[in-house]
Amino acid sequence: MRNVVAAAVAAAFAIPAFAQAPASPPPAWHQGKPPAQSESTLHPFAPHMTGRSAKDLPLDTLKVPAGFKVEVYAEGIPEARSLALGDKGTVFVSNRIAKNVYAIVSSGGKREVKQILKGLNSPNGLTFSKGTLYVAERDKITAYEGIEGKLDNPGEGKVVAENLDPDKQPGHFWKYLAMGPDGKLYFNHGSPQNITMPTYIQAAILRVDPKTGVVENFAQGVRNSVGFDWNPKTKHLWFTEHGRDWLGDDSPSDELNVATRAGQHFGFPYCHQGDTLDPEYGKQRSCKEFTPPALKLGGHVAPLGMKFYNGKMFPAEYQGNILIARHGSWNRTVKQGYDVMRVVVDGDKVVKQEPFVTGFLQNDRADPPMWGRPVDLLVMKDGSVLFSDDYNGIVYRVSYSRK
Amino acid sequence: MTRIARSAAAATVALCLFSGAALAADAEAGKAKAAVCAACHGNDGNSTDPAVPTLAGQPAQAIATQLFQFREGNRQNPQMTPMAANLSNADMNNIAEYFSGLKAAPPKHQTSAANAELGPQLTKKFNCTQCHGPKLLGQQHIPRIAGQQPEYLRAQLKGFKASTRADLDGNMTSAAQALTDKDIDVLVDYLAGLGG
Repeated sequence: MRNVVAAAVAAAFAIPAFAQAPASPPPAWHQGKPPAQSESTLHPFAPHMTGRSAKDLPLDTLKVPAGFKVEVYAEGIPEARSLALGDKGTVFVSNRIAKNVYAIVSSGGKREVKQILKGLNSPNGLTFSKGTLYVAERDKITAYEGIEGKLDNPGEGKVVAENLDPDKQPGHFWKYLAMGPDGKLYFNHGSPQNITMPTYIQAAILRVDPKTGVVENFAQGVRNSVGFDWNPKTKHLWFTEHGRDWLGDDSPSDELNVATRAGQHFGFPYCHQGDTLDPEYGKQRSCKEFTPPALKLGGHVAPLGMKFYNGKMFPAEYQGNILIARHGSWNRTVKQGYDVMRVVVDGDKVVKQEPFVTGFLQNDRADPPMWGRPVDLLVMKDGSVLFSDDYNGIVYRVSYSRK
Repeated sequence: MTRIARSAAAATVALCLFSGAALAADAEAGKAKAAVCAACHGNDGNSTDPAVPTLAGQPAQAIATQLFQFREGNRQNPQMTPMAANLSNADMNNIAEYFSGLKAAPPKHQTSAANAELGPQLTKKFNCTQCHGPKLLGQQHIPRIAGQQPEYLRAQLKGFKASTRADLDGNMTSAAQALTDKDIDVLVDYLAGLGG
């Protein structure tokens, strides 16, 4: 008995001593940088936390296809991230680094921006369903029922799921959130670092039944997905995914994936872009084990929000297309992305992709190379499309007219 | 008459170029708001107090980001928290634009010969130059640390190491974990004496 106690005491002391050993964990984005890249000064870009005024920005450099128009829908929403649309037309906007949720309210031709929630823990994920706004913070998902009737006092909300960041991971801890056709809330749980072996809850897309609070693992091997939507024809989940960093400008490609059922594995950290084994974790593995992407989107383009277009305003050939917001590259010597892409699909197959909104990228070798960064998309009831820009704190509107 | 017209045209062009340069924010409006800052940060944004940072020559985004951090309560300081409490985002951008446009004075601090040699080794070893730039002049949201006031630098590095100093993206908290007290002494002495 005494020996058992002594062993337990020794173990208790051993843990803190061991924990001190690795003194300097690199930042999550810096982790996994090979010696060949040690001189690289590439670094992520931070948004203007105080936002920038639309009048000071080169809006006239934005390009859209003939017949389309892009304009500012709302500004003064610092670090505007995810978008959600209320039944009564309220547009909800989230933050990732900052801590607030905003509402854009339109009445009598006037638009007003209100801060409705504050002091949240990285509240990146937003989705609206049947009168309720769901907000995904770093560690929990909360339901705000009947929120459009009480924007000035939404209350505390009701916790749907919690303990979603048990390891307090250093990177990719912000969540995207969407309501599935099965009535379950889908959210990502990213890889804690650039390239590392995830736990069972990490590098995954999870779902929770808001009625029971039970969380399930839906898709594995997903490094980080910050945008997904369901194909209205096949009902399958499509999602964007960021590939790992520090393997060069063009490798690996970021991905657009489709999950045809629960339980698929999309490759991380073993296999990237469906055909490239990781130099470390891919040893003795095969890419054939994993579900390949539906489309390679390009190296480090950082695809975020994606939506199937089902509105009535755009030309008929846009029906069922996917629009993808590409936040733009940092881990690349020649920058790319910073745009909205159009992807034409047939069922669960990609037919083609082409640029839809461009012009944010000014100089692909400058630091910073861009003046704005698209984040998330929203199809409005009139068929126009909104997209957010966290770099400036602006929401834009894209509309179409035959004239 | 022709000459007058031409110089008027030249003046218009000059005006456009100037307003182009001041695209992001209104430095004049910022100057008016910044009058109260001078008591601690110096008349021209060059602090003479070793514990108070110099703002002159800082990247505008770095200044606006820190004002935001104070207002939001992420970074706390008895002097700065109330200063930032009532500033709008536009005020912060304007103040940042004003200080960013001022010239950083050559540092008064004299780095020891030993630390002048050790300093560049440490700024490479601890990845300072990766984000703060090869000359440590800062960029975008990342502050200039060359020529910064020594006790201010020391307090920030110790705060990051103790995870008590607010950090936008976790990079400094992470970078500071490996620093010993001796490393901090060397870095502070080196950086505080480093000219632009």
